Amino acid sequence: MTREGPVKCVVWDIDNTLLTGVYLESGDEPPGADPVLAAVLAELGERGILHALASKNPPEAAAHTARVTGWRFAAAECGWGHKSDALARIAATLGMAVDALAFVDDDPFERAEVGWALPGVLVLSPEEAAEAAGWPEFSPPVITPEARRRAEMYAERQRRQAAERSFGGTREEFLESAGTQVRIAAATTADVPRLEELAARTRQLNSAGAGMAQDWFRGPLTAPGREVVTVRLRDAFGDDGMVGGCVIDRDQQAAGIWVVPLLMMSCRAMGRGVIDALLAWLIRQAARAGARRLLIPCVTNSRNVPLRLALAAAGFRVPGPAGTGHGDAGPAPAAYQRDLNPPLPGLPGWVRAPGEPGGDAA
Amino acid sequence: MTPSGRADVAAITDDLRAFLASATGRDELRRIPPGTALFGPAVGLDSLTGTLLLREIQRRFGVDVAGEDLNLDSLATLGTLATFVAQRTRPEGGP
Repeated sequence: MTREGPVKCVVWDIDNTLLTGVYLESGDEPPGADPVLAAVLAELGERGILHALASKNPPEAAAHTARVTGWRFAAAECGWGHKSDALARIAATLGMAVDALAFVDDDPFERAEVGWALPGVLVLSPEEAAEAAGWPEFSPPVITPEARRRAEMYAERQRRQAAERSFGGTREEFLESAGTQVRIAAATTADVPRLEELAARTRQLNSAGAGMAQDWFRGPLTAPGREVVTVRLRDAFGDDGMVGGCVIDRDQQAAGIWVVPLLMMSCRAMGRGVIDALLAWLIRQAARAGARRLLIPCVTNSRNVPLRLALAAAGFRVPGPAGTGHGDAGPAPAAYQRDLNPPLPGLPGWVRAPGEPGGDAA
Repeated sequence: MTPSGRADVAAITDDLRAFLASATGRDELRRIPPGTALFGPAVGLDSLTGTLLLREIQRRFGVDVAGEDLNLDSLATLGTLATFVAQRTRPEGGP
C-alpha cells in the first residue's frame, strides 16, 4: 500500500453499487439508490469529500444515479474503457493526485484492475464502503467552511475553466478579466483549523511533504522571528476562501537570511497566479526587511513537481551539482534559495499584501 | 550530435510548441523561436501548464524531466528543453 493522507474524492461504480440493480437490465424502471451507500455519500460529503462516478454505462445512467441519490457528482466517467483510465481522468479533471481517490465497485475484477494499475488508490467493496465513514482515511482532522463548500467550488472551477478556454488572451489577461483578488495577510487564531487542514491535505504545492504531523500552528502565530501568513482567493466565479499559507522564520535575519519552513497551497489555486504571487511577495517582503537571501527547504518527489515549477519560475535554485532530480534527492528537503538583489519581481495589481500598496501594515 | 540527432531536436521542438499551444489555447505559441524563455512573459509557464507539459513529455517520449533535473534548468528555453528530451530519447531499435 503506497497511499497516504486523507481521501479527497470517492469514485463510485453505479450498477449493484450505488444502485440496487443493473441500470441497462431494468427496462422502463431503473433501479433505485442503495439507501446505506446514499447515506455514506451524504456523510462523507458533509466532511468536504467529493464524489464522482465511473461506470460502464451510457451517460444517462449517471444522470439517473444523481437523481435517485440526490447527489451532485463532481465528475462522471461513463464508457467501456478501463476503470483505472477513468479514475486518472477524474483526478486530472478535479486537479488532484490519483492517490487522493478511493474507488468503490461491487465487481472484484474491476477492483483488481484499479488496484493493480493505480496502487495508490484506496479500493473498496460496497460492504467496506458502508463502514468507511469511521475510517481515518475518511476522517479529516478538522472540517472547515472551505471543506463544506468544496463540491460547490469544484463546480465554479469547471465554469472558470470553460471561460478561460474560450478567452483567447494570455493567462494574466484572463485573471485580470475574471476579477481575481488575492489577499495575503498575517494569520489569526481563527485561521488555525484551515491552516492545519491545508498542511494535511495539500500535496502538489506543499514544501514539507503531505500530511507531515508537525505542530506548525500550535505555538504563537506571530512571535519575534516567526510569522504565519494566509492567502485568500476569490474572483467573479466564486470565493475560494483561504487557499494557502506559509510560515516565515526570521531567526537568521542577522545573517541576512529569511527561511520559509512551510509553504502550501490548495491545488484549486493552481493556474490562477496565486503561488507565483505569494513567492513574489515573500521575495519583496524579505528584501524590504534587509534580507539578502530567501531559503525555502522543499522535499522533492514526483507529487510536488508543481511546486518545484513555481519555485523555478520565481528564480529559486538548489545550489550544488546539476543534473540530479527527485530520483536521487532522497527524503531530505532540498535547499531552494534565491538572492534578493534587484530587480525584484513585481506583483499584479489584484494582490493585496502587507507592505504593498493597499495591503495591511507590514 | 549526429544529423539525425539534430532532426530529433527540431521534431521535438515542434511537438512541444504544438502541445503548449493546445494546452493554453494560444495559437501564437506554435510560432515561438527555440530561444524563447519558457518562464518568461511570452509563454508564462506556471505550475499548472508546466505540470501538463512535463506529463506530456513523459507520456510521449518516456523522459521524466523532473526526476532527472532537480532545478528544472532544462526548462530555461524551448530549445534547452527539446535538447534535454532528445538526449534522453533513444531511437527505436537503438541501444
